[in-house]
Amino acid sequence: MLLAYSSCSYSEITFEQSTNAASAGYNWVMTNILPEYAGLTVNGVVYRYTTVKATEDDMLVSVQNENALGDGYIFRSVDDWSGLPGNSINRVIPVGSIPLEAWGDGSISWTGTGDVTDATVIYSYQYDLCVDPQVDPSCAEYVAPVVALPAIEIVDPLQDEFIRLELEKKAALDDEDEEERQRLKKKDGKKKERLEVLLGSINTSLLAAQALAQAQLLLAMNNYIGAYYTTMPGGVYKETLTYGDTQLPDNNTAKRVSFAQQLLHEKMVSSQFNNLVSKP
Amino acid sequence: MFNKTLLALSAAMIVIPASAENVPISGNVESKCVITTETNGVYGNPTPSKLSTLPADGGVVPIIRFDVVSANYYKAVIATPNDFSASPSLNDVVAWTGTTSVGEVSDALMSAYDTDKVVYNNYSEFDLTIAGSTWFKAESTAVYGYDKSFPSGNYNAVVEAECIAL
Repeated sequence: MLLAYSSCSYSEITFEQSTNAASAGYNWVMTNILPEYAGLTVNGVVYRYTTVKATEDDMLVSVQNENALGDGYIFRSVDDWSGLPGNSINRVIPVGSIPLEAWGDGSISWTGTGDVTDATVIYSYQYDLCVDPQVDPSCAEYVAPVVALPAIEIVDPLQDEFIRLELEKKAALDDEDEEERQRLKKKDGKKKERLEVLLGSINTSLLAAQALAQAQLLLAMNNYIGAYYTTMPGGVYKETLTYGDTQLPDNNTAKRVSFAQQLLHEKMVSSQFNNLVSKP
Repeated sequence: MFNKTLLALSAAMIVIPASAENVPISGNVESKCVITTETNGVYGNPTPSKLSTLPADGGVVPIIRFDVVSANYYKAVIATPNDFSASPSLNDVVAWTGTTSVGEVSDALMSAYDTDKVVYNNYSEFDLTIAGSTWFKAESTAVYGYDKSFPSGNYNAVVEAECIAL
């Protein structure tokens, strides 16, 4: 009895080739040649170049990539053209599946007499777009992300024992601060009053001095009318107006009015006094 | 095992001497040498009396690739044309010249094929002593009469490439 079992997992493996790595020179940086896809591996190297040399000359041509994860080379192919006529070489070299991270800088170099022209170096590689299925929604194992909202427990902060104690403490401190503030305010008021008195006296003195200085200044400028300061001639100034003696009659009307007012005043005082006596 | 098989056959013959059976053995040998036309040739017509595959003459050199899996088992024999396979009627002679050379190699040692090739008539023979691929260029030139113009029309010729087991 033969049992067969097969399993299949969906993957999107893509095979591609790089551009000519040696198009801009015989030294190249692999990060500029290979795309940085997760899980990318290089399967092979295809290179082609032409040697220009005399048959009798020795010449060694190397196509290589440094090992980015260690010493030496991750790939190296050496062609010995010694004693051979120059020609074009076209080689396809499988390298297994070497991960992208191991591929260091590449180059073509040669020793001996001769020249290398028309070089082409192409890397064939593969990668799986669905190595991380979450990268691409088209991947079979892609799972649409769901935002899980955490349950929120509503807590009244005013019910918290520590917060309440802290608030009470703060309130007590506020009261103490208010008392202190009032005390300082009163003290400041007295100080301010004394200071105002002091400043007032100083200010008065300063103003008087300033007025004096200003007066002297104005005087120096001769802006005052000279007549105010003209010296009057000395001597005795006798009265020139005289009134003759005469008898002034009493004003009877005024006397009556005054008497009537006095009577009314006494009456009012007496009435107040009588009211106080009559009360039990 | 071979001996055991012989013994079994002897025993069967003793027990049933009157019976006999022919057991067929079949096998298939695929060539380990593959010839592929990489580029078809085109004749250019630089002068009325000349047809040439050289790029300088406006032509395209045909390229044939030989792939051998095992070294030293095959030789490549390439014949450049010495007659048109199709052409207008020609009433004068055509002088043919042709050269076959190694154009490209997959191993630097194959570059020596050119040095070691054997040429006779319009044939060139190369011993394929290195496993891998070799690209051969077969250049062909035809000159009509003595500075005589080719009649107008289509001209076709064939390069014959063979891989012969040694």
